[in-house]
Amino acid sequence: MSWPSCLRLLVADVCIHVEVRAEAFLPWSELEQWSYGDAALAVFVGRVRVEGQNGISIDALEIEHYPGMCEARITKDAEVALASHGANSVLVLHRVGRLIPGEVIVLVAVTADRRGPAQRCCSSLLEALKHEAPFWKREWSAEQGIWLEGNTPL
Amino acid sequence: MPNSQSSVLKVRLFASLRELAGWHERTLILADLDQSTALAVWEELQLGPWFPGLRIAINWQFAEPEQKLVAGDELAFLPPFTGG
Repeated sequence: MSWPSCLRLLVADVCIHVEVRAEAFLPWSELEQWSYGDAALAVFVGRVRVEGQNGISIDALEIEHYPGMCEARITKDAEVALASHGANSVLVLHRVGRLIPGEVIVLVAVTADRRGPAQRCCSSLLEALKHEAPFWKREWSAEQGIWLEGNTPL
Repeated sequence: MPNSQSSVLKVRLFASLRELAGWHERTLILADLDQSTALAVWEELQLGPWFPGLRIAINWQFAEPEQKLVAGDELAFLPPFTGG
């Protein structure tokens, strides 16, 4: 089964763009290219840690996802978050593949008419993504890979 | 969405489960699909005891272990998520 790695949903004034990428991206360049007209923009950028969850320096972080379900799940969560917080648009970009420390993993951006809805929606959607979207990380150090068993605390 | 097909079930594994099993996708033909649940398939696959945090998706929707399966379903066993 094939599935596009990008889902774009445009309903009324609400716009959702969700994309899983195998290639590195620059979040600030992506934001400049993202079309939005609202006054408020909230942004979260997550990067690969230098140290793994066991405190040891890592060489790389491998990220895997469930193609299709992952994009559909994030899109659904974005719809719910936008409606719950009264925000207007969402951009989610998430990496898969092998990343090095410092490399960008995820960009979540939300626009709204005011800062409150934008910030709350961004935070809510990020937590939904971390707990409900089928991604898995494996930390590599000295050619040993360890699948992570849970997220870091909020 | 996954397409419905006759009398077959697609099973998918990811991440640590895939490496534990040594395969990522398998097509099962169950003798009595009407009586099959995700939990029954898990036990048949002999991948060890059910563990906390293990989740199920049927046709990309989260499901309970006791949910009945129908022909053409795509059943995925999902270890705890660590994205973002």
